[in-house]
Amino acid sequence: MISELTRATLESLYMIFVSGLLSIIIGMPLGVLLYTCSGSRRLASVYRAMDVSVNIFRSIPFIILILLLIPVTRHVAGTIIGPNAAIFNLTVAAVPFFGRLTENALNTLPRGVFDSAQAMGVTYRQFVFMVLVPETLPEHILNASVLLINLVTYTAIAGAVGAGGLGQLAINYGYYRFQWDVVLYSVIILVLISQAIQLLGTFLSRALRR
Amino acid sequence: MNVLEVNNLRVSFREKGKITAVLDSIKLAVEQGSIMGIAGVSGAGKTTLLRTLNLLQEPDSGRVVFDGIDITSVTAEKLRRLRKRIGVIFQSYNLFRSKTVIRNIAFPLSIDGVPKKEALERARAIADELGLTHRLDAYPSQLSGGEQQRVSIARALITNPRMILLDEPTSALDPLLTSRILRLIREVNSIHGVTVVIVTHDMDVVKRVCDKIAYLEKGRMIFCGPTHDYFSQYYLSATHDEHAAEQLEKAKKILMKGNGSRLVRLVFWGEATGEPVLWKCSTGLDVTVNIIYGEIEEFRHGPFGTLLIGVDGKDSAEFLRRLSLSVYKMEVLV
Repeated sequence: MISELTRATLESLYMIFVSGLLSIIIGMPLGVLLYTCSGSRRLASVYRAMDVSVNIFRSIPFIILILLLIPVTRHVAGTIIGPNAAIFNLTVAAVPFFGRLTENALNTLPRGVFDSAQAMGVTYRQFVFMVLVPETLPEHILNASVLLINLVTYTAIAGAVGAGGLGQLAINYGYYRFQWDVVLYSVIILVLISQAIQLLGTFLSRALRR
Repeated sequence: MNVLEVNNLRVSFREKGKITAVLDSIKLAVEQGSIMGIAGVSGAGKTTLLRTLNLLQEPDSGRVVFDGIDITSVTAEKLRRLRKRIGVIFQSYNLFRSKTVIRNIAFPLSIDGVPKKEALERARAIADELGLTHRLDAYPSQLSGGEQQRVSIARALITNPRMILLDEPTSALDPLLTSRILRLIREVNSIHGVTVVIVTHDMDVVKRVCDKIAYLEKGRMIFCGPTHDYFSQYYLSATHDEHAAEQLEKAKKILMKGNGSRLVRLVFWGEATGEPVLWKCSTGLDVTVNIIYGEIEEFRHGPFGTLLIGVDGKDSAEFLRRLSLSVYKMEVLV
C-alpha cells in the first residue's frame, strides 16, 4: 500500500505543479491585460468582455467543467483520463482564477507610484516589468500559494473522474473497497502538501515585503 | 525665454454626473532658470495645475507649451520623451518600495538604457551631494520622511532635467528641514540652472525662494507676477494673509485711542529698505509720526519691509506726498 500511496502522491504533485506553472504562465499576462484594460478609457469595452468571460469560467463548478471540456480534452491531450488530461482541465479552470488574483494584486500598486513612473517617461513594457510586477511581487507570491492550494483540492476532485493521484486512490481503495485507512492517509498527505505550500508562500512573501 | 507657457487652460472633473471646473482661464509663463510658486489655500486647484504641466492630468482645453512644444497636441510617444526632461517631486514622494535607495535614484537612467555601472555611479554621486551616502542600500520603508524626500529629489535630478515640479515640498517637514530643503532648491536652481515650479500653501516658502508667484483662488488665477509685488498688493486681503489682517485690526484699535490721525501702510523693497525715509520726509514739516508696527522680511531677491504708521499734524498731506515718492508702495488705510 505504501508504494501505491507514494505513486499517487507523486502523481498528485505532478498534476498540481505542472498545472500550477501553466496557470501562472498564462494567468499572469491575463491579469496584466485585465489591469491595463481596466485603467484605460479606450479599452473599457474590451475590459467588460474579459471581465464577464472570467466570471463565467470561474462560476462553472469544476466537475461540470471537466465534463463540458471532454471533447476539447480528447483533442488536446489525446485522452480524457490520466494526469495529462487532468492537467489540461486544471489549467483551464485555474487560468481565469489566477488572472483575477493577479489583477487584484496589481491594483494594490499605489496611484502615486503609477504617476511617478509615468512622469519619468516609462514605456508600457518598462512599466510592467520594472515597476508594476516588482512592486507587487509579495502579493503574487501569496496568490501563487492560494492557487496551488486550490489545485490540491481540484486535483483530488479530478481524481473522481479518472485523473489518478491521491483523490482517485482515496475513492477507489477507500470509498469503494471500504479501506478507510487509505482515505485517512490520502487526506493527511493532502493536508501536509497544502500546509507546506502555504508556509513557503507566506515565508517568501514576508521575505520580499519591504 | 520661457521654458513653460500655459494658455487658457481649463480642467474639469465629473462628479456625480455634474461637471465642475477645477481650473479655468489659467495663463502662466515660467522663465528659463527662474523659480515660480503656485500658491493658494487647499482646494484652489494648485496640485491639479502642477499635474497638468506634464500632462499627468489632461486639460479640457488650452495649451501647455514646454520648450516651444505644445505638449497637449503631441503623440503619446513624443510626450513620453518630453516627460524625461521634467523631473517631478511628489508630495508623497512615491518611491519604489521594492528597490533600494540607489536603485530608486538610478531608475530614470536605467529606463533610458544607460549602462548599469554608469547609472549606479551617477546615482552614487548625486546621493553624495544630497547626504544620502550612508543610506544607499536601505529600502524606502526604512527611511525617515526627510530622507525619502531627498531620494525623490535625487531621482528627479539625475537626468539633468530642464525643469522640476515640486508638490508641497515642505508640508511634512519641521522648520529645520524646511530651511534645508529650501536652501537645496535655491542651490539646484542657481548652480544647475534648473527651472523650478513649486506648489505650496505656505506663503513663507514663496517669500523665501520664489521669483514669481501665481496665486490661485477657486480654480482661477488672481495674481501672477513678481513675489514682492504680490505681497505689496495683497497684504490686506484676509484670505491671503490671516496674520496681516489681524495686525491691521490691532493697529486700528491702537489708533482709535488717539485723535483723528491717519493710518498709513508703507512697503519698502530692495536697497531703499535701509534708508531713514520717515526722518527725511518729515524734515521741516509740522507732523507727528507714530510707528505702530514694522517688519523686515528676507525675500529671495532682497529685504522686504512693511511699516504701519499713524500720522498727525497740519502738514500731514505734504508729508504723505513726499513719502509716496520715496517708498515702494504707500497706502492710506484710515
